Amino acid sequence: MTRIRLNGKEIDADKDRPLIAAALANGVDVPHYCYHSGLTPVGSCRMCQVEVTEGERPARVVAACRTPVSEGMQVETQTPAAQAARRECLEFLLKNHPLDCAICDKAGECQLQDYTYAEGQSEGLSAEPRRKLDKRRSLGEVILLDQERCILCSRCVRFFEEVEGQAQLTIAGRGANSTIQTFAGRDLSGNYQGNVADLCPVGALTLKSFRFQARVWNLTKRASTCGECSRGCAISVEVLRQGQVKRIRPRYEALVNRWWMCDTGRFAFEGATLSGRLEGAQLRGYSGLEDCSTSEALAAVATGFAVHTNHVFIASPWLTVEEGRDLVELAQAVGAVLRMVSPEESGLADKILNTGDPCPNRRGLADVGIESASAPECLQLCTGAETATLVGERVVNLVGREALSEHDGKSRLFVFDTQALDAARVAVQVGVASWVERSGTWVNADGHESPIAAARSAPAGVCGTQGLLDDLRALVATCAPGSVSR
Amino acid sequence: MVIVKRKQLTLGERLYLPEIVRGLSITVRKMFAKRATRQYPEEPLVTTAVTRGQPRLAMNPDQTLRCVSCGMCEAACPAYAITIDAHEVEREIEREPEHFEIDMLRCILCGFCEEACPKEAIWMSDELELADYTRASLVYKLDRLVRPVSQLQGRIDYIEEINRRWNN
Ligand code: SF4
Ligand code: SF4
Ligand code: SF4
Ligand code: FES
Repeated sequence: MTRIRLNGKEIDADKDRPLIAAALANGVDVPHYCYHSGLTPVGSCRMCQVEVTEGERPARVVAACRTPVSEGMQVETQTPAAQAARRECLEFLLKNHPLDCAICDKAGECQLQDYTYAEGQSEGLSAEPRRKLDKRRSLGEVILLDQERCILCSRCVRFFEEVEGQAQLTIAGRGANSTIQTFAGRDLSGNYQGNVADLCPVGALTLKSFRFQARVWNLTKRASTCGECSRGCAISVEVLRQGQVKRIRPRYEALVNRWWMCDTGRFAFEGATLSGRLEGAQLRGYSGLEDCSTSEALAAVATGFAVHTNHVFIASPWLTVEEGRDLVELAQAVGAVLRMVSPEESGLADKILNTGDPCPNRRGLADVGIESASAPECLQLCTGAETATLVGERVVNLVGREALSEHDGKSRLFVFDTQALDAARVAVQVGVASWVERSGTWVNADGHESPIAAARSAPAGVCGTQGLLDDLRALVATCAPGSVSR
Repeated sequence: MVIVKRKQLTLGERLYLPEIVRGLSITVRKMFAKRATRQYPEEPLVTTAVTRGQPRLAMNPDQTLRCVSCGMCEAACPAYAITIDAHEVEREIEREPEHFEIDMLRCILCGFCEEACPKEAIWMSDELELADYTRASLVYKLDRLVRPVSQLQGRIDYIEEINRRWNN
């Protein structure tokens, strides 16, 4: 640790990190574009200039991201010289910047907007026309590049080189003709492309799927955890008008994903925004599955547990630890065999984040005592038992939707899933909330506990799994085996 | 106990007729004075450029909307009356509202949207009437909001004039 004086206050600075890191860590916002804590500092944008005095030497203006801290250094961020240096730098960045904020998806979370406002650089000096470049250059499936908006900070270039491990972008051309380009015009590839849209401090690299989808200040953001693999990246789920999930972005979590996440997780909600939700409950009557109230459905399930023997519970790997615990208790009360259905590896495993195991809470459920079993094993258990209860989102798909609807065993199926299963053996089914609609805890592959939080409310008539399990347990307690005649 | 003291009437007042004449004279005078009321709806309100009627969206002569759905009016609206969804279109400025709704029942005609708009797309028109049988039909969609620029020109000129005066 090194003692330095920042804006008149003594602080401790990490001697291996640049001056800007110390300032940011101590709540002093030094404007910056090219610096990012997750990337090597290059000092190209010159936005982070501050005034430094060391010993007897006269004060000088330096780039804080390329200046190491030294004992007794005195740093001032708001001196006239430092401010003038930053304003001039902004003047040049804005020289060719289009007046696009009105249509720019970055507006509202754009560092160019923020620092232009903060530094008071609202009028330019130059009268020449702005440079015209390609405003809609596709860089593959995920990313769209607007060359006019780019400020050439090279964060995106460094991301692919340093984090993804394979250079995919470069700054081509010289001087005023520099632009960001892929090598030989190839599309970007890999499972981490989406990160550059978060990383880009301006609206030059944007997500195609988020294009014109929402103004960012209208999004409600909830801290949650990604459910697409057992890494469990910390994310923020962003919802428009309490309804649609519009975007998922990584949240900094030092022990898990740091600043990044993979595209599989980033875009998973698009499938999970869930058409064909099972809203409410259904009970088999004389003419097939009929709508009923949730309490009627639960009563039927409890009666089913009482009048039959030989029960099987299949848990979805998306259940939270809390739900898992409830399910274990319920299984004990009923005397059922309980397994978590364990899908095959997704084949997406890489050295960066994705573990390839698509179960976000495998470890958490194992910790509460739920063993896992492969889909064929689960199917066999289901067909062999008198009643099979499938609990949690995607559980039907994981066990095998086709197989479950075709199976000709004797078992009755009690289904608690987000989507309906149209099968002859289904006796009762109840719609449950998905992971963006409930709260709880998941434990990732390394044993790190992360919260999931309801980002929006479930569709009308859909209940949380935990509430259902609680109600069911109460019902089971009142109609113990034998108390209901066959 | 409250004692109410009655006013002692003068002789003139007690004679009754002079007061009738005085009252009638007011009536007759007012019959020929300039009227303060109008025979609405036969006689609609006379509007000027200063009239702050319901907000409307301007459409250029080439049939394109000026609005790029930046959401500034939506954010400025104190009554949460505006809801916008954008989509991409083939034109120079590639963004346009797919849905643009103003809930006229919420709108308080404050004009903040007009002031917030960076594209001179939303203007307070001279349209003031608002009546229908359902609430839903008073949530105006694009089809009921768009007006040719020419129809809003009076207001546009007036606001430009005001801005000029303030900025100099
Ligand atoms: S990148 Fe930022 S400053 Fe540039 S147009 Fe977009 S929002 Fe505006
Ligand atoms: S595209 Fe964005 S991240 Fe890449 S250099 Fe330009 S401004 Fe920086
Ligand atoms: S006039 Fe005022 S209340 Fe009405 S839509 Fe505009 S900003 Fe909202
Ligand atoms: S942040 Fe220091 S030069 Fe860009």
